[in-house]
Amino acid sequence: MQQTQSRDDDWSKLLVLVGSRQDRAAFERLFHHYAPLIKGFHYSRSAQAFSAEAADELVQEVMFRVWRKAASFDPTRASANTWIYTIMRNCRIDMLRRNSRRQDADGGDVEVDDIWDDSPESQPLLVLQHKRSQRDIAAGLRSLPAEQSHVLEKAYMEGKSHSEISNELGLPLGTVKSRVRLALKKLEAILSKQGAS
Amino acid sequence: MIRHHPDNNLLVEYASGSLPWAMSLAVSAHLQLCPQCRRESERLNHIGGGLLDDCEPQETCDGALDRLMQRIDHEETAPAEPEQCAAPAPPSRRSRSTRDDRDPALARLPRVIRKLVGSNRPLKWRRVSPSLKTSRLAAGQDRYEVAFQRICSGGKVVEHDHRGREVTLVLYGSFSDADGVYTPGDFLLREPGEVHQPIATQDQECLCLSVVEAPVHVKGPLGWLVNPLLSFRPA
Repeated sequence: MQQTQSRDDDWSKLLVLVGSRQDRAAFERLFHHYAPLIKGFHYSRSAQAFSAEAADELVQEVMFRVWRKAASFDPTRASANTWIYTIMRNCRIDMLRRNSRRQDADGGDVEVDDIWDDSPESQPLLVLQHKRSQRDIAAGLRSLPAEQSHVLEKAYMEGKSHSEISNELGLPLGTVKSRVRLALKKLEAILSKQGAS
Repeated sequence: MIRHHPDNNLLVEYASGSLPWAMSLAVSAHLQLCPQCRRESERLNHIGGGLLDDCEPQETCDGALDRLMQRIDHEETAPAEPEQCAAPAPPSRRSRSTRDDRDPALARLPRVIRKLVGSNRPLKWRRVSPSLKTSRLAAGQDRYEVAFQRICSGGKVVEHDHRGREVTLVLYGSFSDADGVYTPGDFLLREPGEVHQPIATQDQECLCLSVVEAPVHVKGPLGWLVNPLLSFRPA
């Protein structure tokens, strides 16, 4: 445990190096670690969310943004995993929007980073000291009953809304909602250790 | 104090990026006003981080890193970053102050809503009834109708119901309905079929952001003018 935890700290340190002095060696190490995870997140067991090519494109875009935004990474606020997750999520939203954009969509220049805004200045009221226990979360996720972790994976990894999950699994919407809530309840202890204190 | 929040299911959809764009806009504005939900949403991001950490790695295509480094080199030797060009003083600052600038209801909005207003200026208000004005907002999507609703002080809105889900976020002033009083930051989600009649408080007008899945049905005495089908509905 000790060792794995310090590993996550290592990724954070590398990110700080990239942000503070555009350290390319540090960036390459991050790439070798995260690029296969980013691809695996979108293209794995299920494999429906993205084609291999699209997943590779996403890897390029996410890691490019990681390079560009590394200076805004604050290791006291988030772990490297969570920070990269948020960049990846925003990238995916952008990519899906670009591909499915219909002609009749109205204008407006609100962008994905305006809506999914995780910048520190967006929350002046919060000063959080994060304990980086990402491994605990991963372990907590693994300890969930399969039906609960399944809905979370569908939501996060496949980007499906509750009603899409309900259609796909042939379950009432209320069942999907309660599985998600039960999963959160089980993870709560771990997550509050992350967020507060 | 904020008493009405998006529920955890909605926050999971937001954190995982599956919540539709316009709904996410409303959730985001609420988060910028509500530290409690902000914290909750950070925790939900950690689940994403945990799933990323734990997923099965897949080898990336050949030359992926080289390709990326070439792109980075190219960007860095390019004369000017578009982001840096765009950053200094937006021209609107120096231009003549408009009616929107002097509007007290628009003076202190969450960041994402300021951006939304910025791209819809000047706002065009349409009078729906003596007490209600509305301004549609282009938000880069077409699934939901995004608009400001403005109720004059003490004004009553015609009783109405909704064909689709509706989110209302109070931004200025307050209003009440049969269920309670709503103040800035309050986030209300109504499911299709719920009927309500908002009334603004006496001393101040009320501004809300509304995000509606399908057009609103007006149920008042003149409702059939707006939507003839409605007159066949039992009252």
